[in-house]
Amino acid sequence: MTEGLIGNTDLVLGFSLDAFTDVGFWTRVGVTAGILTIFNLGLQLNVGYTGIVNFGQAGFMAIGAYTVAILVEKESVPFLLTIPIGIAIAIAFGLLVGLPSLRLRADYFAIATIAFAEAVRLTAQNARGLTEGNQGIYGFDSEWDNISETIEGWLEATVWSDPDQLFPLLLVVWASVTVLTLGLYFLQKTPWGRVLRAIREDEDAARALGKNAFAYKLQSLAISAAIGAIAGMFLALSLRFVIPSEFAPTFTFIGYAALIAGGLASYPGVAAGAVFISIVYEAPRFLDIENEESVRFILIGLILILLMAFRPQGAFGKREEMVLGE
Amino acid sequence: MNDAPATAARATHAPAGESILEADEVVKHFGGIYAVDGASLEVTQGSITALIGPNGAGKTTFFNVITGFYRSDGGAASFDGDPILGRSPHRIAQLGMVRTFQITKALARMSVLDNMMLAAPDQPGEHLLGLITKPRAVRRREREVRDDALELLEGFNLAKLADDYAGTLSGGQRKLLELARALMTKPRMLLLDEPMAGINPTLGRRLLDHMQRLRGEEGVTFLFIEHDMEVVMNHSDRVIVMASGRVIADGTPDQVRSDEKVIDAYLGAHSGGTGNGGGARPAAPEGGKSR
Repeated sequence: MTEGLIGNTDLVLGFSLDAFTDVGFWTRVGVTAGILTIFNLGLQLNVGYTGIVNFGQAGFMAIGAYTVAILVEKESVPFLLTIPIGIAIAIAFGLLVGLPSLRLRADYFAIATIAFAEAVRLTAQNARGLTEGNQGIYGFDSEWDNISETIEGWLEATVWSDPDQLFPLLLVVWASVTVLTLGLYFLQKTPWGRVLRAIREDEDAARALGKNAFAYKLQSLAISAAIGAIAGMFLALSLRFVIPSEFAPTFTFIGYAALIAGGLASYPGVAAGAVFISIVYEAPRFLDIENEESVRFILIGLILILLMAFRPQGAFGKREEMVLGE
Repeated sequence: MNDAPATAARATHAPAGESILEADEVVKHFGGIYAVDGASLEVTQGSITALIGPNGAGKTTFFNVITGFYRSDGGAASFDGDPILGRSPHRIAQLGMVRTFQITKALARMSVLDNMMLAAPDQPGEHLLGLITKPRAVRRREREVRDDALELLEGFNLAKLADDYAGTLSGGQRKLLELARALMTKPRMLLLDEPMAGINPTLGRRLLDHMQRLRGEEGVTFLFIEHDMEVVMNHSDRVIVMASGRVIADGTPDQVRSDEKVIDAYLGAHSGGTGNGGGARPAAPEGGKSR
């Protein structure tokens, strides 16, 4: 993955601090952070609240992105209609992956989900008739552009005479973050969420009390898959194209770094961690160096080590829960 | 036969005196080791029955098989007429036969109250569809469950700890919580795996009092694995003895105490059968899993 989280943008400013004051640059970082937040909301539901380690989130993201791109570009399906279809397909894949693998022990499940995500990516790379392989799919976003321009028009008429081109997407992404975060937060407070937490704590105890742990884990994975697909759709809109390399496991691992930075079992932590890691991810652009890609991974690795040493619960996690979890 | 959803019918079906749990030639082996080797037993409705036997007799394995945690390799078992072998653990629990574990499974990062409320049956809010379609029923049930939970916690002297993480409780308090939590399911029968192990005599006595009271007031049937002979002989109506994966004796404490086979297999090894010193327990040699 050489293009990284925000793809090959014409906004690359690899040589100076000008970017600090560049609205376009920060808008793009904001969009990236929002997409990573949505992506991680699903992971938080799985990892933080259900105790299932899903390493295949990038695969669900790819399914969302490719469904929109393929249906709009090749089948001329209206853009807004492709969104629920993409979510439904991702849920179907979540169930398909979960049915056999959620019966496995946690670590085997994690391996199975990586395999799933890689299978999706490699299919996208090789099923050229459907996905155009590494050339990618372009031109699926004209309907979105209309929506975006409408929002831009409202902005120009009211608060901002010359909004950045990506600003409407930023608004929509963060509006989605807000809705999804609130939805998941309230879901966690319900009896349903209580069963999930019980499964996280001790699956056998939950089963002994009459809870069908497997069914709940499956639901958790399916919801996470749906959220991952939404993240993928926004990613496709922000890049304006979809190519397989955007959906490499690296994305999931960066997601986990952000999840840990924000704190497990905390929904506010998801956004905080995603914003923080997105900024770290883009920070090497301010340095006058050649190997941005390596530097950003060294930085993220260093942050993970420091977190583990000094603040394992992350920004919003509860330390007492870390201790009791032993 | 009773195929009604267990959650709808919590009342006792079998009249007192009839057997509520029947196991017939139950087998469980791990490779060539027959942990349970054709165990047959009946537990009488409304009784407090002790399951004893030397370490390795297969008691815990037997529990795991009849509660669905292990798949059986032979035999049959029924709970109040419903066949239970091959059913998943949550189904068996929903029928009204609920177990606890030898090593307590407090849900550490949940509050004591949440541990309790979790266990309650018939909460439509545990299903995504129910959350959407019956929000008022969900809230009403939550209030009921909370009241039930607090009342039970009061009875177990845990009410003050309701908002604490369950992981902060002492070993004895966890045992009490696990029993109280199991009671939230409104069980007809409780299987307790060494409920007295690792708790101080005061808490142990309180636990025994609770068992007696629940049997008397609510007709709950108890089957419990125990190594403490003083507890077994003085607090159970019936004693079932397992050795080498089979049931070798079944009777009143006095009958079992004088049974030659039992003395050979078990009591002889401990010589503490009549126990009179408060809390004196013939220590289980390994103190670990009986399998």
